[in-house]
Amino acid sequence: MTKASRWAWVISLVVVTGAALVLSFLLAIATNNRSFYEEHYSWLFWLNLTVAALLILVIGVAAVRMALRVQRGKFGSRLLLKLAAIFALVGVLPGVLIYTVSYQFVSRGIESWFDVRVEGALDAGLALGRGTLDAQINEVSQQTLLAAERLGDMGGDVQPLALERLREQMAASDLAIVGASGQVLLSVSRTTELSKPERPPLSLLSSARSARVAAQLEGLDDDGSGVPVAGSPSARIRALAVVPSIDVALARQERFLMATALLPATLATNALAVQSAYREYQQRSLAREGLRKMYIGTLTLTLILAVFGALLLAVTLSNQLVKPLLLLAEGVRQVAKGDLGVKQVFGSRDELGGLTRSFADMTGQLSEARSLVQRSVAQVEAARTNLQTILDNLTSGVIVFDREGLIDTVNPGATRIVRQPLSAYRGQRLEEVEGMEAFAAMVWRRFESHADAAESGDRGHWQEAFDMQTGANRDTLSLLVRGALMPQGARLVVFDDITELVSAQRIEAWSEVARRLAHEIKNPLTPIQLSAERLEHKLAAKLEGADQAMLTRAVATIVTQVQAMKTLVNEFRDYARLPAAQLLPLDLNVLVAEVLSLYATAQEAGTLVFSAATDLPLIVGDATQLRQVIHNLVQNGLDAVAERPAGLALVRVKTEVAHTEQGAVRAVRLHVIDNGPGFSDKVLKRAFEPYVTTKSKGTGLGLAVVKKIADEHGARARLMNVVVTDSAGAQGIPVVCGAQVSLSFSKFALAPALTVAASTDTAPAH
Amino acid sequence: MALVSSFALAEPQLTSFEVVRGEDGLTLSFATRFDLPAGVEDALLKGVPLYFVAEATLMRDRWYWRDQLVSRVSRTWRVIYQPLTRTYRVSFGGLNQSYQSAAEAVSAVRRVAGWKLAEPGQVDAGDGYYVEFSYKLDTTLLPRPMQISIDGQPDWSLQLERVQRLAAPKEP
Repeated sequence: MTKASRWAWVISLVVVTGAALVLSFLLAIATNNRSFYEEHYSWLFWLNLTVAALLILVIGVAAVRMALRVQRGKFGSRLLLKLAAIFALVGVLPGVLIYTVSYQFVSRGIESWFDVRVEGALDAGLALGRGTLDAQINEVSQQTLLAAERLGDMGGDVQPLALERLREQMAASDLAIVGASGQVLLSVSRTTELSKPERPPLSLLSSARSARVAAQLEGLDDDGSGVPVAGSPSARIRALAVVPSIDVALARQERFLMATALLPATLATNALAVQSAYREYQQRSLAREGLRKMYIGTLTLTLILAVFGALLLAVTLSNQLVKPLLLLAEGVRQVAKGDLGVKQVFGSRDELGGLTRSFADMTGQLSEARSLVQRSVAQVEAARTNLQTILDNLTSGVIVFDREGLIDTVNPGATRIVRQPLSAYRGQRLEEVEGMEAFAAMVWRRFESHADAAESGDRGHWQEAFDMQTGANRDTLSLLVRGALMPQGARLVVFDDITELVSAQRIEAWSEVARRLAHEIKNPLTPIQLSAERLEHKLAAKLEGADQAMLTRAVATIVTQVQAMKTLVNEFRDYARLPAAQLLPLDLNVLVAEVLSLYATAQEAGTLVFSAATDLPLIVGDATQLRQVIHNLVQNGLDAVAERPAGLALVRVKTEVAHTEQGAVRAVRLHVIDNGPGFSDKVLKRAFEPYVTTKSKGTGLGLAVVKKIADEHGARARLMNVVVTDSAGAQGIPVVCGAQVSLSFSKFALAPALTVAASTDTAPAH
Repeated sequence: MALVSSFALAEPQLTSFEVVRGEDGLTLSFATRFDLPAGVEDALLKGVPLYFVAEATLMRDRWYWRDQLVSRVSRTWRVIYQPLTRTYRVSFGGLNQSYQSAAEAVSAVRRVAGWKLAEPGQVDAGDGYYVEFSYKLDTTLLPRPMQISIDGQPDWSLQLERVQRLAAPKEP
């Protein structure tokens, strides 16, 4: 229902109720004023009936609507029904009570008007009046009869004077002699009026003729309203008596004496009053049923109007009362559904209105709090994402254990280091990961001992180096493990792969050892050689034959071995203290060609092949050192393929230029590729360390020197096996068919200055 | 009273009804015969005035519209019993007449002769005239409570009606 139609309803209800009340009031007023009431009763009754019917219709519609709502379970309908019922009860009960009492009152009251004694008294009064009148009539007729007889005795014509005397004796108002047909022959009157008395009616004449005297009452009429008819002659008694005739001659002519006596005014009035009252009473008594019906009808109608009015008011009022409650409940429902939008407010000043306002405020605060929570959750999420990103990109491995020691968080670094899909073991113990049992045992032990020693030592963390075998090849990893306690009993383990660090340290240590050894060993070598040569020089002449030959051979051996040892020591020294590189622009192709010219025989045999890239940019480097590098690499390659039959052995030296996606030069690479047996995995990892070699002879310093020089040039050295998925091999298992050493130079000479200036972004950082 | 009750209570009827075109217009004469029912007579004796109303309407046919009302006349008689003098008084207009018995009084209101219905000029020689006549005991003039209490009683429903078409006047 829209607001307008609701208003229309309310207004029409108020109007109808008001009309009903006014009509009831009119009915009540009308009941006071009987004639008005009786006159307008009918239309008032019907009007009220119409209003009542209208009300019934309205109430019926409202009741049906309400019943439908209750049946549909529409929200709030039950409360409305309850309130309406209560209000209606409050309105209807007193009405019904008053109605019952009034009904009794009216019934009894009307009945009490009609009393047998009152009726008897009225009858008696009427009879009394009648008797008095009869007595008067009798008296007048007796006097008239006497007077007539006296006149008859007098005989002859009646003189007016005698008649007047008679009139005075009789105290009549008029006296007249009337002829047989009723014509007035002679009359006397008390008044001086000359008017003749009326002719007697024929009926009176005939009855007087038969009974000698007759009398009747005249003018005592009313029109039923209790007052004498205006303008009618006053009440009088007319008596007619036969005048006896003693005169035979005149016997044929009948004469009558007519006397008219006025009835006393008070008597007439009283008699008429009695008659009027009697008539009124009788009428009322006849109509008493009607009266009762009228009053009861009025009463009933008033009751109905009042009751219906009360019902309508009840519905309207309870609607009014329920509205804010419904508003509130609707709001509560919305909040329960999670809708914290703006709530409607009931605009009244009472507590209910205040309640809806408070509710709206509360909802608003809730909504604010929720948005605050959402914001902070988003912040936490962002922080988490940050942390996750950091964790994911950390080179260190991070494992978080929860209170029960189960794996909670693992970062990709950990997976990478231990080469186990640790994140798949989330929620399990670390011991359950294959190959991690020792690691786990160490971690727990350290945590326990750390917890025991918590009081004394530093509480924060512990640290330990740990060597772990992992991967398919049981490689040994050196791990630096760091443990810390986290809030709520969680534990954090961070570990780094320090294998390379350890390797570097080893190299460093080797350098030192080599330098000392070289120094210590080199010093006595020259005296040894000189002493041996001097021995030969002095003693060779003195000895003969076999002895001289043995001396010469022994000295040669000593000198050769000392020379070899010198070479060895020099290598060590060279490795230990390489001179600082003098970086100058140079062309790698020229350098490689220059070195390879030393291996002319191998090149001619086809064992060594050089393919140079064109347009090679100049790099910066120390030509002497790089020559050493190339020499080492080529020598290594040739050594590796030495065992292969001639013709199949092949060492390729290759230069190439690597470009970025934009086309700028990124690096210049030098590859040395052989088709020898390759490296074992173990060697592959540590080949750049000193004294690691696959060769039976050699110091194992070749690749270490290469690495060191490459580092000085800012170049990257990589070592890998050339793997071919041999089609002849079973199931595509990769087969090692050679080794490759690559050097990537990323420091370029500034000679093509234009190129560098034009694309600074492609200039290498180092 | 004895006279009245001695009559068998015959059905009220209109014994004669006559409409005459005369020199002085249209006149109506009618006579009815009915007896006062016991209830009515009882009420009369208790002082309730009785009203008899005769009403006549002269209409003329109109095919295109409602029939035309030419003239309407009505007469109301009032009969009341006066217990003081035991007389019945009949009022008709300003005229009053007293009767000793109810039968006499009622017979005085039962018939009318030469009741002028229309002036000579009001009625022309054409036909199509008709008279609607009714004679009834009018209870609407009674006191209201009385009306309510007698509502629906057959004793009080005295009503006689007649509709008569007027014959065209004979050619002179």
